[in-house]
Amino acid sequence: MTTDPSAGQAILSLSNVRKEYAGHVAVDDVDLTVSAGEVVAIIGPSGSGKSTTLRCINLLEVPDSGTVSVLGRTLDTARGVKHAELMQLRRDVGMVFQSFNLFPHLTVLRNVSLPQERVLGRSRKEADERSMALLEQVGLASKASAYPPKCSGGQQQRVAIARALALDPKVMLFDEPTSALDPELGLEVLAVMRQLADKGMTMIVVTHEIHFATEVADRLVVMSDGRIIEQGDPKAVLADPQVERTRTFLSAIRDR
Amino acid sequence: MSTSLLNDWADWAPRLLDGLGLSLKVTGLSLAIGLTLGLVLALWSSAKRLPVRLPAIVLVEVGRGMPALVMLQLIYFGLPDAGLTLETFPAVVVALSLTTAAYTSEIIRAGLRAVPSGQLEAASALGMSGGDTQRFVVIPQGLRIALPTLMGFAILIFQISALAYSVGLPELLSQAYSVGAATYRYLDVLVLAGLFYLAVTIPASWLVARLERRLNRHL
Amino acid sequence: MDHLVIILEAVPTTLAVTGASFAVGALVGLVLVLLRRTPWLLVRGLARLVVDVLRGIPPIVLLFIVFFGIGSGAIRLDPFQAAVIALGLVSAAHLSEVYRGSLLAVHRGQFEACQALGLGRRTTYARVIAPQAARVAVPGMVTWAISLLKDSALVSTIGVAEIMLVAGQDARSTGAGLLPFVLASAVYIALGTPLALLSRYLEDRLSIERSR
Repeated sequence: MTTDPSAGQAILSLSNVRKEYAGHVAVDDVDLTVSAGEVVAIIGPSGSGKSTTLRCINLLEVPDSGTVSVLGRTLDTARGVKHAELMQLRRDVGMVFQSFNLFPHLTVLRNVSLPQERVLGRSRKEADERSMALLEQVGLASKASAYPPKCSGGQQQRVAIARALALDPKVMLFDEPTSALDPELGLEVLAVMRQLADKGMTMIVVTHEIHFATEVADRLVVMSDGRIIEQGDPKAVLADPQVERTRTFLSAIRDR
Repeated sequence: MSTSLLNDWADWAPRLLDGLGLSLKVTGLSLAIGLTLGLVLALWSSAKRLPVRLPAIVLVEVGRGMPALVMLQLIYFGLPDAGLTLETFPAVVVALSLTTAAYTSEIIRAGLRAVPSGQLEAASALGMSGGDTQRFVVIPQGLRIALPTLMGFAILIFQISALAYSVGLPELLSQAYSVGAATYRYLDVLVLAGLFYLAVTIPASWLVARLERRLNRHL
Repeated sequence: MDHLVIILEAVPTTLAVTGASFAVGALVGLVLVLLRRTPWLLVRGLARLVVDVLRGIPPIVLLFIVFFGIGSGAIRLDPFQAAVIALGLVSAAHLSEVYRGSLLAVHRGQFEACQALGLGRRTTYARVIAPQAARVAVPGMVTWAISLLKDSALVSTIGVAEIMLVAGQDARSTGAGLLPFVLASAVYIALGTPLALLSRYLEDRLSIERSR
């Protein structure tokens, strides 16, 4: 377990975030504050807006209204975001996707090094050293010269984590990182994520892995129909959900 | 097949081979220039704003809409009227390059569009700039996707190079035609020329088919 | 204005060459694709060789073989006949590939279902496979028609008085230079555009149906 959430300073907050697609409200008036070192798991039925909420944090989806604040820099999305602000935000916030999205035409090492060179201006040598250290950390140093399509899904996802970490983000977003994986390959990825949480990384994880949520997360956020309907200590929420909608959702995934 | 025909073919072969060499040279040069222009047109016609991409779209549609033979004759016989006279060889290369650019820009554009959106999102989430994303992520993958179709087009432009006969460039078909005119043995010499073309296009199309299967396996 | 009139008067000839070649190609292509699906290996191999040769040889070379090589010997062919035979053969090869692709696009399960139902080979093709394959083939056939319209310009080299030939003559005889070629291009584009729109419409409709 990591730091007590109340002890950390707020590192990230969303307030009044709203996102619509052609008349359909995907995220409705979401407020979320995350402390430094906190691990937040977001669960909810599909279409509940959890992925969209996550993508609003690094502005892969630009909210229609509301503010996104990271490390004290507040962006009012309704007023438009300047390019420089966006670039700073993307540096502070790393993201891992459900489908990995490694660059298939580059080796594992180049995948991790290229963004460091282009975004942080590191030299190739510096970048490669950092990449190798991170690949070591996720257990994939031996795959450095392999191409992603030759790696298993679990390996690709671990490389994707290393690629995001290489830019030294302050917050990491995970969008269903194990949903595309067989259960045993998902475990390798969850192990890396647990290791990261133990080191004090601030993490927001959209997931269906109830075990991960209970054992690693400091807080569980439940979403439904674009809103946060319940949140709190994961064990408490799972043992005694306060909202009916949470109860039906939890029993549905437990039955699976 | 009589031995006399084979003897004649052997007599004509060196001349036709010279022609084939010129056909290949025209093809290679036109592809090198045309593909570069094609990439530029592909990026230009992918621009976000319609007024920006409109000229590129018009150029491409005109280039694809007119027959290659019209393009060639326009440049060779028409442009001198506008004050621009080109020798045969450069005129052919310019015409075939423009035709190549118009066609390949569409092929490349389709390749660029086929790069999965997750790739763009990943680059964006990593904070890479739009230019870097195109240069390091989209273009290399888009060209790879387009490669088999581009190679198919390369075979087509080799065939199209035979149109240069009409402006008197001594490429393979012209050579065969003038042997025919001198000997009145049109059928025999044209069949030999046809075999020369096939000797290039059929193995090349096998190569393309193999490459296509290999790339499909890896997707 | 006169330049445009001269070119417009040649449009029917261009359309006649294109239309006749397409019709020849559509029929001969059907024969070729059926030969490629016979149980006899030798016939299949020969049909494939014919298709590869016709697709591999530049159309203008085939045109010259037919007109100067064959048509000026024992058989006499006028330029129009030679043009239709040569472009018809090229079309046959390309269209047979279009047909073949569309047959491959019909799901295997459809053949199996017909067998399970005890339908004969003819009923299977005529009532079940062909209607499904045709929907896939039509956009490809329209695309070929557009190519063929443009390829028809090369029959000017054997003296068929279509758009390209009259444009070239006009340019030389009047010294008008550039203009006739520009007008010819515009006319080709004007003729091809409806076909291009049709092909786009058909392809969109097909991809919507498939995504359902």
